[in-house]
Amino acid sequence: MQRLLWVLWPSFIVAGVAEGLFFTVVNPQELYLFGEPVHFSTLATLSIGFLAFWAICAGSSLFTCFLQKTPGEINGRGCGQPPASPAAR
Amino acid sequence: MTTETSSSSATTEQAQDVALFEVHKKIQVRAVSGIFATWRWALVWFTQLLFYGLCWLPWNGRQAVLLDLVERKFYIFGLVFWPQDVIFLAGLLIISAYSLFLFTAVGGRLWCGYACPQTVYTEIFLWIEQKIEGDRNARMKLDAAPMSARKFMIRGSRYAAWVAVALWTGFTFVGYFTPIKTLSSELMTLSFGPWETFWILFYGAFTYAFAGHLREQVCKYMCPYARFQGVMFDPDTLTITYDEERGEPRGTRKKGADYKTQGKGDCVDCGICVQVCPTGIDIRQGLQYECIGCAACIDACDQVMEKMAYPKGLIRYSTEHAIAQHWGWKDIAGHIVRPRVVIYTVILVAITAAWFWGLANKPVLRVDVIRDRATLAREVENGLIENLYRLQVMNVSESAERYSMSVTGLPGIRLAGETEIEVPAASNKSILVQVRVPPESGKQGSNVVFFDVKSTRNDKIAVHEKATFLIPR
Repeated sequence: MQRLLWVLWPSFIVAGVAEGLFFTVVNPQELYLFGEPVHFSTLATLSIGFLAFWAICAGSSLFTCFLQKTPGEINGRGCGQPPASPAAR
Repeated sequence: MTTETSSSSATTEQAQDVALFEVHKKIQVRAVSGIFATWRWALVWFTQLLFYGLCWLPWNGRQAVLLDLVERKFYIFGLVFWPQDVIFLAGLLIISAYSLFLFTAVGGRLWCGYACPQTVYTEIFLWIEQKIEGDRNARMKLDAAPMSARKFMIRGSRYAAWVAVALWTGFTFVGYFTPIKTLSSELMTLSFGPWETFWILFYGAFTYAFAGHLREQVCKYMCPYARFQGVMFDPDTLTITYDEERGEPRGTRKKGADYKTQGKGDCVDCGICVQVCPTGIDIRQGLQYECIGCAACIDACDQVMEKMAYPKGLIRYSTEHAIAQHWGWKDIAGHIVRPRVVIYTVILVAITAAWFWGLANKPVLRVDVIRDRATLAREVENGLIENLYRLQVMNVSESAERYSMSVTGLPGIRLAGETEIEVPAASNKSILVQVRVPPESGKQGSNVVFFDVKSTRNDKIAVHEKATFLIPR
């Protein structure tokens, strides 16, 4: 749960900032998608834009989280988890 | 072989459980009344009347506060903000940040304790919980009780009430971006657009999760401000403080007993300060980052002190210096003015003044001159040279306006065609203008010319814009 929050929450905040900055300088109706002018309504463009920003930022957070794993976790043990004893198998 | 695989995968799952889920104990907050609880409720009412009500307020035949994302215009009462005015938004954010710094340096986490939406909505959701499920003990009993028809009914109605508040909050939120009148007529027929539905549900779900379930975890694990507010603190900052010297050694005693001869302090160790704490900390362990400064423990402790006939204020708003040096309110007030506070105040006042000055001098007319891309220059009748321009005339004011256009900079230069343009309130119009000069009036190549766009009603509303005029070889 906490890890999920670590990924989704900061990315949500940063996506909000990115959305604000991007669509302040770029008119959503002047965007081109695959060479075609976007034909969605402005609200749809803004919404999709936000979700896309969020997804991208979440990807970055996820990567950070991934790199934060301790050697112990990578070696197959949870953090703070004692090594599995052979008897348990 | 099979057993081995399954048991080893079970171990992995267990390991994952430990890694992914933190141990979270549900906090059942005890209700509290008192002066600070009253203040908090006053702010709940104030902020929520503002939030739920403001979107219904009409102004000049439109919604008073409307952040129209589709038209890219923000209406705030008499003001209209365009994307070009983003500096004002940035300014507003800086002002908010410095206000927060200033309040924090002087009064600690006043924002968190009284005005933060997280606190406000938690308070509302807690109130619902209390009305439906009863007080803290009743709720803890209900938590522990096995599922029954009664428990299902009670829990169900609590969740239903939460959902109703959350949905209304989501609806109101979207009402600041899509005119609330349109939205409410859509509500009558349940015909919201797909994205309106999405955002109502999204914001509603956010409110529900944050105020209903996450609560103090938002402050403890998600809020960036909670992490850095400590840097604004100094030994003269007001914080919720337990008077250790007076309270310790804590212990139970009979009412009216001469506890001082028993070597006990004023704290009766009733634990109510812990029970009322929305983040579940014990303030008697000193200042902690989890403390949101809500003063619920002050209210609670004061009631106990009153019952015991001890002086109030065993837990109180105080400062580190005041506790150490036994200062009264006069001394605390005398230490408000200090370099940190002065610096924050000076910056805040300067930025606020600049912001209002900018707002008062915000141009009500904007003109962009764009050369026509298709034709550079051409020769027209009587050998005149013509250049084409597109004028983007933005009327940023609240009333329709008529503008006259003229051009100067070369002898004999003039506009062919329309010289006046009418632009409705808060909108822009683009017009194609032809500018003609006799060929001998300028040098070959580019020449500087000026466009003047003036209100026909008020000479002061005028824009002088530079452009280049091409004369071909």
